[in-house]
Amino acid sequence: MSSGEIALQAKNLTMQFGGLRAVSDLSLDIPKGSIFGLIGPNGAGKTTAFNMLTGVYTPTAGAVASFGRDLIGPGLVRKPYEITQCGLARTFQNIRLFKDLSVLDNIRVSLDGNPAFETVSPLWAVLRTQRAVRSEEAKYKKAIELLKVFHLEGRADWQAKNLPYGDQRRLEIARAMATGAKVLLLDEPAAGMNGQETSELMATIRKIRDDHGLTILLIEHDMKLVMGICERIAVLDYGVKIAEGTPSEIQKNPKVIEAYLGTSEV
Amino acid sequence: MIKSLKFWIIALVAIWIGNLFIADNMNPYFFSILMYAGINVTLAVSLNLVNGFTGQFSMGHAGFMSIGGYVAAYISTTWTGTHPDWIADPFLSNILFVFNMLLGGFAAAGVGYLVGLPSLRLKGDYLAIVTLGFGEIIRVFILNIDAIGGARGMPNIPPFTSFGWVFTLLLVTVFTIWRLVRSSEGRKFMSVREDEIAAEAMGVNTTATKVKAFVIGAFFAGTAGALFAHYLRYLNPQTFDFNRSFEVIIMVVLGGMGSISGSVFAAFFLTFVREALRPLQELTQLDFRMIIYSLMLIVLMLTRPNGIFGTRELTDVISLLKKKRSTS
Ligand SMILES: Nc1ncnc2c1ncn2[C@@H]1O[C@H](COP(=O)(O)OP(=O)(O)OP(=O)(O)O)[C@@H](O)[C@H]1O
Ligand SMILES: [Mg+2]
Repeated sequence: MSSGEIALQAKNLTMQFGGLRAVSDLSLDIPKGSIFGLIGPNGAGKTTAFNMLTGVYTPTAGAVASFGRDLIGPGLVRKPYEITQCGLARTFQNIRLFKDLSVLDNIRVSLDGNPAFETVSPLWAVLRTQRAVRSEEAKYKKAIELLKVFHLEGRADWQAKNLPYGDQRRLEIARAMATGAKVLLLDEPAAGMNGQETSELMATIRKIRDDHGLTILLIEHDMKLVMGICERIAVLDYGVKIAEGTPSEIQKNPKVIEAYLGTSEV
Repeated sequence: MIKSLKFWIIALVAIWIGNLFIADNMNPYFFSILMYAGINVTLAVSLNLVNGFTGQFSMGHAGFMSIGGYVAAYISTTWTGTHPDWIADPFLSNILFVFNMLLGGFAAAGVGYLVGLPSLRLKGDYLAIVTLGFGEIIRVFILNIDAIGGARGMPNIPPFTSFGWVFTLLLVTVFTIWRLVRSSEGRKFMSVREDEIAAEAMGVNTTATKVKAFVIGAFFAGTAGALFAHYLRYLNPQTFDFNRSFEVIIMVVLGGMGSISGSVFAAFFLTFVREALRPLQELTQLDFRMIIYSLMLIVLMLTRPNGIFGTRELTDVISLLKKKRSTS
């Protein structure tokens, strides 16, 4: 394993839905600054794993830690917004933007909770004191800066629902970054994109990792993207981690081939 | 900060200048409609914060109004007995009135917190059910407290409510909520309305946000109740039944959920419509209000499902018209 810091750690996470064990005993160590892939066939439990890591589901068993700090575990429950404040932010497989709000406001909602910005009490905000105005100006500047990374600055005042599909996916990533989180969890960021868009997205993901010092865990079905940018990959099948390694190791792993193609008899 | 307050300060001054002569020079019947319309604007705009901007469906605004009204009126009538000189003093009585109005608002806000916290923690439409029940419970509760008149009602409330106060509260409510929804707080409200799960994932404490909107809404409903009590000078639990809450909801829906201008317009419009219907009602002995409201809602849903203004404001419409004119 790498000798660096662990940005995100899953320790024996299990999620039981009635009779279905959607994820069982999942452990992951995601080194700081890496791009880590989580793959697996449909229904393998990838999104469920994200939901446990981000506090949406309380795991049946297991724990989550980030940079050595325990976030979730037995007797330690955190709500999703608290997890975000602890530095993990996510995107959604089925886009969940604030549809009727502007692109700019989608970003600003996240900036409002970003610890890098001063929080202003509602009373001062209503009176528009100098501090409140300055804080708004700082957030506006930062929002435009983030939108530029995704080439969305020209559409800042569009309603999010009017954006083309690919832009909506990119805005979701920008919005997650705006929370100030150091670890991003992207659930199928390239879903529905064409080849050209996917290649551009790969470059962008690499760029934000390098420029902003982020760690990225991503779920993806697009193998070109996964194999192209992930340094390590873990494979889930029926809720169980069946393999973990570099892209070339994963491609050669017989268990993985079987999971994706069915039994070798076919 | 001061510069941005210019418009509001001018409006405030205009209201108090108007206060000097409007009551004496206006047809008393129209004057009373104007006063009720002003109070209804405060109710509608504050409910819009909860139902329109935050997307939580509250059906108990009349309940909060009654709490504010009864609390303020109880103190005023008590003082009428113990300190008649205070009540007679034109300056002091206004100070006392503002004090009572705030107290009524805080009482409503406190109850709002107790009602809101448990129901807003849950996702889904629990708030609608809980507030519906709450409105009835508070009414029955008041009905059974003898100290505030019970079913007989509470008479002889001093006539503190003037044109100036009704429209000052209206202005304060519109000012506060207008600016609130344009601040970081407002973005939180709207993010909860748009997608609660996403808002939570972006670091928004959604429960606290919903409770905050609900408590602020209850506060203004309470102060509006205090105005109402000191204008009508008589309170009766029947006044605050479900129809009253429903009327405010209609105002918000008709004007547009998430449009302050819409609520202001609809509150005036519906108050006048209701008065216009009164002769018909007396003639036929039937309460036409609910029939007309229902018909209006049906027509609205068919023609403008998002209300007259949608989420737009008057200022947006004006700047749009200006743009059109400059391009043509
Ligand atoms: N809240 C829930 N209650 C019950 N079962 C659930 C719940 N959420 C997910 N599941 C089940 O858990 C299993 C894993 O689902 P999950 O969404 O995690 O899969 P996935 O790997 O993300 O699949 P996909 O690639 O299709 O997105 C599925 O069988 C799903 O039906
Ligand atoms: Mg999934």
